Amino acid sequence: MKVHIKKWHAIAQWRWDTGNNDPDDDGEGDVCGICRVPFEGCCPTCKMPGDDCPLIWGECTHVFHMHCLLQWIGTASSKQQCPMDRRPWVTAERKVD
Amino acid sequence: MIKIWSMKKNEDQAAKKKPKTSAAQIRVQKDLTELDLPSTMVTNFPDPADLLNFTLTITPDEGMYKGGSFLFTFKINANYPHEPPKVKCEHKIYHPNVDLAGNVCLNILREDWKPVLNLNSVMVGLQYLFLEPNADDPLNKEAAEELKRNREQFIYNVKSSMRGGVIKGEKYDVVIKEP
Repeated sequence: MKVHIKKWHAIAQWRWDTGNNDPDDDGEGDVCGICRVPFEGCCPTCKMPGDDCPLIWGECTHVFHMHCLLQWIGTASSKQQCPMDRRPWVTAERKVD
Repeated sequence: MIKIWSMKKNEDQAAKKKPKTSAAQIRVQKDLTELDLPSTMVTNFPDPADLLNFTLTITPDEGMYKGGSFLFTFKINANYPHEPPKVKCEHKIYHPNVDLAGNVCLNILREDWKPVLNLNSVMVGLQYLFLEPNADDPLNKEAAEELKRNREQFIYNVKSSMRGGVIKGEKYDVVIKEP
C-alpha cells in the first residue's frame, strides 16, 4: 500500500507552565484566583492572551495574571499581601516548584 | 500561523468592537453562576440588567434569629474584586455586629477582604453572623455587652426585637417571617 499525503494541517497548542502537568487535566481548572479567567486567557484589561498578558509567581508558589496581581498590590487595603495566603507578596524569579 | 498574526494586528479593532462589559461585571457574572446558596438565602435583582446592585434575604432556620427574615443590599463597584462589595442591612435589627444604620461588621467585608473571595463567601459569612453573633467585634455595643453578660437575656432581647420591640430605648423593625 502506498500512501500519498495530499494535504496536512499542523496544529499547536500552548499553555503556561504552571507546574500542572497532569495530562488528563484539560487546563480548564487553572484559573487566576483574582479574575477567575483561565491562565491561558487574559486579564480583564487585556484583549489578547500570550506574552502581553503574562503570569506572575510569588515565592509562596501562588500564580496569578500579572496585571491582576499588580492591581491588587497597588490597592492600599492589600497591604502587599498574597491574595491567597496573606503572606507578604514576594515575586519569584520564575516558577516555584 | 498567518491567521494568528493577522488577529494580533487587528487587536485595536477588536478592542473597539468589544462590548463595554467591565471587569467587575465579568467577575460578578462568574460569581453568580457559582453561587451555591442554602435554601435559607435568596437573591433578588430589582433590575435584571444590573448585576452590580441586588438584595439578599436571609431566613435563618436555626439559632436565636430563627423565624426572622433579614434583607441586605449589595452594591458592587467597578473595582470589584479588588474592593469588597458594600453590604448593608435594610432592617434595623438587634445584633452585636450590625449597627442601627445597617452597617455590618464582618471581617471579610473589611480588613480581611481579598480578591480570591467571592460573593458566595460573603453571603455564607453573613449567614454565619446570625448563627454565631460575635461579641468581640461589636458595632452595637449594647447588644454585645448583653451577649457577654447574660446570654439568656440577650436571646430574649433578640426575640423581642424581631417582633418590633423596644430595647434600651431603641425600637427595632419587625422581621418575623409570615408563617
